[in-house]
Amino acid sequence: MDIISQLQEQVNSIAALTFNTFGTLQRDAPPVRLSPNYPEPPSNPTEDSANFADQPKLMSAALVKAAKQFDVLVAALPPSEGGEEAQLRRIAELQAENDAVGQELQKQLEAAEKELKQVQELFSQAADNCLNLKKPD
Amino acid sequence: MATATYPPPPPFYRLYKDYLQNPKSAPEPPPPIEGTYVCFGGNYTTDVLPSLEDQGVRQLYPKGPNIDFKKELRSLNRELQLHILELADVLVERPSQYARQVEEISLIFKNLHHLLNSLRPHQARATLIHILELQIQRRKEALEDIKRRREEARRLLKESLGTLDGQ
Repeated sequence: MDIISQLQEQVNSIAALTFNTFGTLQRDAPPVRLSPNYPEPPSNPTEDSANFADQPKLMSAALVKAAKQFDVLVAALPPSEGGEEAQLRRIAELQAENDAVGQELQKQLEAAEKELKQVQELFSQAADNCLNLKKPD
Repeated sequence: MATATYPPPPPFYRLYKDYLQNPKSAPEPPPPIEGTYVCFGGNYTTDVLPSLEDQGVRQLYPKGPNIDFKKELRSLNRELQLHILELADVLVERPSQYARQVEEISLIFKNLHHLLNSLRPHQARATLIHILELQIQRRKEALEDIKRRREEARRLLKESLGTLDGQ
C-alpha cells in the first residue's frame, strides 16, 4: 500500500483504539464510592477486578504505540521537493524530451524498415539468379 | 432561498412554447457550473478537494502556498494525544462536559484527513513524473538497440560483399 494510504489507515486505527479504550473502560469499570454518606457499593469479585487493572495499561500502551507508528510513517514520507509549479515544470520538460526522443525513434525505425525492404529485395533477386543459373540437367 | 413542501416546477417551460416551429427562439441550456455552488441547501464544489472552510470545519494548520506536511502532521498527532488525555481527565472529574472534548478530537481528525487528502494531487504528479521518466528511458534503450542492429546489418552486408568480390 502506498504511504498516504498507510497514513490514513493509521489515523483510522488510532481513532478506533481511542473509542475502544474509553468504551471498554466505561463499560467495565467497577463501581466506586462517591461520598462518605452513602454506603460502600456491593462489589462482586467476578473476573472484573482481576483482569481489569491491566486493561487501562494495555490499552493506553496500544494507543501510544499506534501514535508512534504514525510518527514513523510520517518520517517515511518522501521529501516534497518544490511545490506544484516545480512539478508542473518538470512534467513539461519531460514531455518535451519524450516527444523529441519519440521522433528520433520514429526516424530510426523508418530508416531501418527501408533498409530491411532493400535487403529483402536484393535477397529475392539473388535467390532468383541462383535458381536461374542452376539449370536442371 | 425559498423552501416549500411541494414547490411548483420552475417557470422556464413557457420560454419553449414555439420550440417545434423555431428551435432558435428558446434559450440555450446553461453552461456547466464551475467552482462552488449551492444545491438543496448544501454547499458543493466542483474542485477535486473542497477546502475545510467549505465544509464548515475550522482549519488548525496554517494556510499558505507551501505547507511542511511532515511538521504539520506531527504537530497534529501531538495535539490529538493531548486531547485524548484531556478527555480522560474530563471523564474522571466533570463527566457531563465530555461533548466539548469529543468535538475537539473530531476536529483534529478531520484536519488530519484533509491534510492527507491534500497530499494526493502531489502524489499523482510525482507518479506522472516517474512514469514519464521510465518511458523516456525505455525509448532511449529501444533507440540504441535499433541503431546497433542497423550497424550490425550494414557490417554483415559489407562483409558478404567483400566475400563475394573475393571469389
